[in-house]
Amino acid sequence: MPGEAAALSREVVRDLIYQGFQARFLEAGADIGPGVDARAVVMARAMRSSSDGTGDVCFPGPLSPGALLALGATPLEYLRQLARKGTAPAAARTGGRNWTDLRRGLIGWDGPSGTMTQVLAGAAVAFAQRGQDRAALVFEEAAAVETGGWHEGMNFAAAQAAPLIVVLDEAGARRGARGDGHDVESIARAHGVACAAVADEPFAEVFATMAAARRRAVRGRGPTLVALLPADVAEPWAAHDAFVARAVEASEVAQSEVRAIERAASAAVSHALARLGREPAADPRDALVPVCTHDLPLPPWTRRTAPDPGWRGAAEPQDVQDAL
Amino acid sequence: MPSDLPPQVTRTREGRSATLLEAIAEALWEEMERDSRVFLMGEDIGAYGGAFKVTRGFQEHFGRSRVIDTPISEGGFTGAAAGAAHMGLRPVVEMQFMDFISPAYDVLTNYIATSLYRGAGPLPLVVRGPVGGGNRGGPFHSQNVEMAFFHTPGLKIVYPATPADAKGLLKSAIRDENPVIFEEHKGLYRAPHCRELLHGEDHLVPLGEARTALEGEDLTIVTYGLMVHRCLEAAAELARDRVRVEVIDLRTLLPMDEDAIVASVTKTGKLLIVHEDTRTGGIAGEIAIRINERAFEWLDGPILRVTAIDSPVPFSGELEDYFLPSVADVVTAGRYLVRY
Repeated sequence: MPGEAAALSREVVRDLIYQGFQARFLEAGADIGPGVDARAVVMARAMRSSSDGTGDVCFPGPLSPGALLALGATPLEYLRQLARKGTAPAAARTGGRNWTDLRRGLIGWDGPSGTMTQVLAGAAVAFAQRGQDRAALVFEEAAAVETGGWHEGMNFAAAQAAPLIVVLDEAGARRGARGDGHDVESIARAHGVACAAVADEPFAEVFATMAAARRRAVRGRGPTLVALLPADVAEPWAAHDAFVARAVEASEVAQSEVRAIERAASAAVSHALARLGREPAADPRDALVPVCTHDLPLPPWTRRTAPDPGWRGAAEPQDVQDAL
Repeated sequence: MPSDLPPQVTRTREGRSATLLEAIAEALWEEMERDSRVFLMGEDIGAYGGAFKVTRGFQEHFGRSRVIDTPISEGGFTGAAAGAAHMGLRPVVEMQFMDFISPAYDVLTNYIATSLYRGAGPLPLVVRGPVGGGNRGGPFHSQNVEMAFFHTPGLKIVYPATPADAKGLLKSAIRDENPVIFEEHKGLYRAPHCRELLHGEDHLVPLGEARTALEGEDLTIVTYGLMVHRCLEAAAELARDRVRVEVIDLRTLLPMDEDAIVASVTKTGKLLIVHEDTRTGGIAGEIAIRINERAFEWLDGPILRVTAIDSPVPFSGELEDYFLPSVADVVTAGRYLVRY
């Protein structure tokens, strides 16, 4: 492996160990999804990230910390959001992984499936319109292809040759969203977009597949649909662990360094958990007033207290004020 | 002045009066020239110039990347507009007919309207298009859509009645940081009776401010859109009975200029609300409760409403005329209230 490629390889593997460890910890006991899967960490890592709003953008999927972490989110931010803390990215107004930081290229959502392919298609069109070296990556669960919204987004992106990469988590099919698999290649062909698949390949090939899709996208050659296929193991977390282990084996990262990285990841998560308990709950005045349609507070009697005659203020006729 | 400008965008420059359609076109053109982040998306708006020719000549001037002919997928391209807005652009989405906004209801209410709430920041985008009946278009080319979105926090809704307002409001909507639904009554698009001189490029009409279309002392009529003109006709007829009607044109439905309504009602003591949209769940109900909360003591009669009946918009001319609020309906309700 040439020197530069080897350095990149070591860097990616170190990141994979660190983020993969944290993702596995954060999602312990949860069903696996795109982004939790270590392959998705590598996929997101193949994008051009930034912290100043000039890099690629990514919707990491509804079930995933992995891709979020790979793009610069921290365990503390993630846990704050999950715990609905007032300090959470969405100020406790919404739960799960539904948060956005455009400077780091993160766009979150936990609403209807398929919507984010539409939204990220629009982000990609914006990049193309301005001639920017940027691409959009969206992780969707497999069931998204059953929605009309997903196909509308994909169709629009294809028609505009937008720099969009859509990863379909075929592993999600085993969660019961679909009784059988479907042919991603046929779907890609129907939309006139390129298709790739990621299964049990070594991490370097996963990285290369995504890097190629990204190059294709930013050169104006349109979207790529990537099937994230179920690994050939019975238990998804086993696939996660095996992928990381193979990556370590293939790289020049020493076992002692692996353990050091895992200790650092563990410390980051422990620190986040300890800090989380001390963080404040949400305050409606801080969290809700700025996003209300109207600036004025609601009349108090529409909530739980008796009418307050003073509330009517200037709209009070003098005779009524006198009577009160 | 370049000679290749499409005629619908040169009215102000030539000092000529404009229709509401021309005012919309001018606003779009000026904002696109002013700000390279503004771009248009919609069905047939580019090569064809739009179903009503609002954007005729735009694609030749601004290029295909800023005047995008979309697939027929209102949900898909409205969602894409959200993504583009996230990335700093200012999309203006055209619904060929606003009746077709329903496939985009999901992304508008779930994604776009909640963006600020979810911590994803404001989403500056406009969804505009023709609404309203009277054109024998039937139930799928004649609807008013405001109340489908009025209940959704996070959206603004604008519905102009005059060309000058349409231009100034649309420019404000494009510059606003929030998603705006902008309704254009197609009965006003080319109506010769409401042609007027437009203001220059710098003139904005602020969102959320109503306009007193007619001052009066005896009765307040609150309305918007094409019904402003119906109500002014009715006011002229009531004036023959020496009834002085005040007509408030809301211009922006959300946020609503509640203070303007309260101020008028405290002056007249009588309130009639007129809208072309259907009756049940119409904006009249919301206005009535707000007046009940803030100005009940000033009322000298019941709050009444004149609206379309609760039916899909009929296709037959005879049925549609019965369906829509008429000048005579407004006059009758006005006389009842004044005598109450």
